[in-house]
Amino acid sequence: MNTAGMSAVTSPASLDRELAAIVGEGHVRGTGFEINGVIPAAVVHPGSPEEVGAILQLANERGLVVAPAGGLTRQQIGGVPERIDILLNTTRLNQIEEYDPGDLTIAVAAGMPFAEMQRRLEEHQQWVPCDAANLEQSTIGGLVATGAAGPLKSTFGHMRDFLIGVQFVTADGKVVKGGGRVVKNVAGYDLMKLLTGSYGSLAVITRANFKVFPRPRQTRTFVCPFRSLDEAMQFRTRLFQSPLTPMCMEIISPRAMEYLRDSGPVHDPDDYAPEQPLSLPAIEWQIVLRAAGSDNVLARYARELGATVARTLEGTREEQYWRWISHFEQNVLSRHRNAMVMYTHLAIQSVGPALQAMERAAPDYNLIPAAVGRAATGNLVLAFMPLSVDPPSAMQYANCVSAFRGMLPPGSSAEVAHCPKEAKPHFDVWGTTPTDVKMMRAVKRAIDPKNILNRGRFIV
Amino acid sequence: MDSSILRQLKKIAGKDAVLDRPEELMLYEYDAGVDKHRPGAVVFAQTTQQVSQIMKLASDKKIPVVPRGAGTGLSGGAIARREAIVLSLARMNKILEIDVPNQRAVVQPGVVNLELSNATTKYGYYYAPDPSSQKACTIGGNVAENSGGPHTLALGVTVNHVTGLEIVLPDGKVVEFGGKAQDSTGLDLTGFFVGSEGTMGVVTRITVKLTKLPEHVTTLLGIYNTVEDAANTVVAITQSGVTPAALEMLDGWMVRCVEANVHAGYPEDAAAVLLIELEGMREVVEEQARAVSEVCLQQKAREVRHAKDEKQRQLLWLGRKTAFGAVGRVSCSYYTQDGVIPRTKVPYTLAEIERISKKYELIIGNVFHAGDGNLHPLILFDSRNPEQAENSRKAAKEIMACCLKFGGSITGEHGVGLEKMGLMTAMFTEDDLEVMVRLRNAFNPESILNPQKMIPDLHFCREITGPLPKAKVEPVAGVPV
Repeated sequence: MNTAGMSAVTSPASLDRELAAIVGEGHVRGTGFEINGVIPAAVVHPGSPEEVGAILQLANERGLVVAPAGGLTRQQIGGVPERIDILLNTTRLNQIEEYDPGDLTIAVAAGMPFAEMQRRLEEHQQWVPCDAANLEQSTIGGLVATGAAGPLKSTFGHMRDFLIGVQFVTADGKVVKGGGRVVKNVAGYDLMKLLTGSYGSLAVITRANFKVFPRPRQTRTFVCPFRSLDEAMQFRTRLFQSPLTPMCMEIISPRAMEYLRDSGPVHDPDDYAPEQPLSLPAIEWQIVLRAAGSDNVLARYARELGATVARTLEGTREEQYWRWISHFEQNVLSRHRNAMVMYTHLAIQSVGPALQAMERAAPDYNLIPAAVGRAATGNLVLAFMPLSVDPPSAMQYANCVSAFRGMLPPGSSAEVAHCPKEAKPHFDVWGTTPTDVKMMRAVKRAIDPKNILNRGRFIV
Repeated sequence: MDSSILRQLKKIAGKDAVLDRPEELMLYEYDAGVDKHRPGAVVFAQTTQQVSQIMKLASDKKIPVVPRGAGTGLSGGAIARREAIVLSLARMNKILEIDVPNQRAVVQPGVVNLELSNATTKYGYYYAPDPSSQKACTIGGNVAENSGGPHTLALGVTVNHVTGLEIVLPDGKVVEFGGKAQDSTGLDLTGFFVGSEGTMGVVTRITVKLTKLPEHVTTLLGIYNTVEDAANTVVAITQSGVTPAALEMLDGWMVRCVEANVHAGYPEDAAAVLLIELEGMREVVEEQARAVSEVCLQQKAREVRHAKDEKQRQLLWLGRKTAFGAVGRVSCSYYTQDGVIPRTKVPYTLAEIERISKKYELIIGNVFHAGDGNLHPLILFDSRNPEQAENSRKAAKEIMACCLKFGGSITGEHGVGLEKMGLMTAMFTEDDLEVMVRLRNAFNPESILNPQKMIPDLHFCREITGPLPKAKVEPVAGVPV
């Protein structure tokens, strides 16, 4: 796979010149950045939504394939593209456009790193409750486009639930908007829902308006260990029936604890060498709760949870711990270059069966399973680490995914977010979904009829 | 309506499921808003298959279809024209499944909003979105309009509570979006569909989230000598870090109007009251109640009352939920607005509304979701007096202009429908609207479903959609254009 498929009508050099005419000489520059092995022919950094429009208009007229990009933290998700003619990087669009703390809303250009916006909100004890990984590098547009979320999703939902307005550029270069700057608004179609999680396949997001929330002043974390998945799931049921309303509720599989710590330098990214020897039985499942409130409220949690709690975390140790949970996937991938990561979407009662399915499917294909995820919403991050003694072949990843998906209860979906690119052609990384895919494609055709945006990478 | 069409409708849905006599159709010519049009026929579908057959017939014969629930909408979304069929989903009113372990319910579109909560409270759960019309409105209608309600401040509106839909497309094809999982791989068509006002498909089955009943609920009534103090309290509460479950305001005129009607216990000499509800764990609610009371008093509340028991709490809410009905006792006509403004602009906007009220010598009552900045000014007029009717339109226009000036919205929860279609161009550019039309056409290419609603008929629509359906949008009395 290379850039040999580059459009015949435009040579790379002349394309660079045309792009430079739109954005200025200094803003067309290559990075050597690969997306699943494919190097974009040109990289362009527009400085305004109108420049984004001009680039897309050019691409649309020529049928050039465009990959919208931000902090480049989630570009490896998805299928292997046939080619990428233009990597359109939005990081120059990085201003806070409007923020009045009293309104609890903020309007931000899409290329701003999320953490930068969050720091501004923190000055007023506010936040957008998103704790996905890599927030220093990840741009706001990228997080919206990938529907990224972390443990806070349990209570607050994700980008779709905070995004109250969006400006974007369509494939034919029009700068348009949906929603607005107020927290309640039903004027026009909800384009915010459509763009969240669309992986850059429908439009290039240039601005996002969020509703923001008061940031909890105090939290505490309760780690509850169990001897089996069943016991952990029974505890979850009791929690649902209790008056407690924890902010986060994570389930952690036995082998996942290995990745919830700062790992030492990685000597060999292909070597699976856990700090806990593999010969020790890994049976401890954990449910980890994070609660917010006054001393009085937190005391109630401690009282009701009682002896189930093995460890209580607060302050910087607590913050550190949740950063590890958010970065579980990144930690796995930094230790195991050839690991596979899946994201699940499950009904509440399918969480247990899905975790069982993972534990059963992985060993058959020489993979070690580990999982961290939202026990209350069914959004799990599953990691499959190859054994160094007999690493799986490309086909074995495909077979493992297929075996795992086959065991999922109906109505579930599970996409492969990461795996060796050599394995990707052997199966459908996105998999089946309960939502009508033909209708998804009709929507895609309606606003990107020439299929120039992220062609071949997303489900549509 | 063509008699062969009527025969075929009867064949699909049954003889007793089709209305076509003028006296029957009269009952379907209005909703709770201001527009009126008599449809050509009404058909009551009882199954998804019937909906599919009806849509197929309508598509083949190019007859517009307007889906309808309980007809409680406020923007004309369920109003049909003479040559159109009203497709009522009111008889598809079964709760198909209450799945407590998964915290979901699966319902047909005609299930009444409140009935779902009534059916699930015994399990410790309820359905959170609570439009004021919840005793009558259907969940299918709520999905179409993305309905809100007082308690959506903390818990979100309909779209935050719907996880799955079965939809019949205009050509009769049945598709599924989502299910019981919180979300699924691929585009979020479930979220996109909610609030599409019946212009993309007919919902025939809905999977909704059930919310755990809170351990404790408290309702406070803040009483004020000026509207300004009440409005400032709204801003101060929002900034204090407390998110109430509901934060509603009624001005003095509305208070007196409501008291005359249901005796909710609001003090009649107040210039404004705030109805503040807090819910959650007992400790949280108690702390928040103290904090909120303090904020109210700091902002010059004359008094803050706590509902002593559930009966008192329900009475306070009865006043709020029957406010619109109470207005009907004192004025033969009123015109409800649904503008939204950023929350810090509530004090200024209320002062503007007061000014507009004086300018046109019209009574404007205010009862609204203050915590969201979602205003509901009710402009009273006598429709027999042409000057007053005209002035009410002008006043409405000025209020909307004020909302838009602050980056607000023309509608927070009532929908665009017929009523606010003319205002869409004040919020969106032609390019914005063109993208919406293109997306609608992906579902409803020939505008068979709910034509000429929501998005105004600009020139480009014709270029994109090909031939226009026969009906024309005409200005309707009482609607500002």
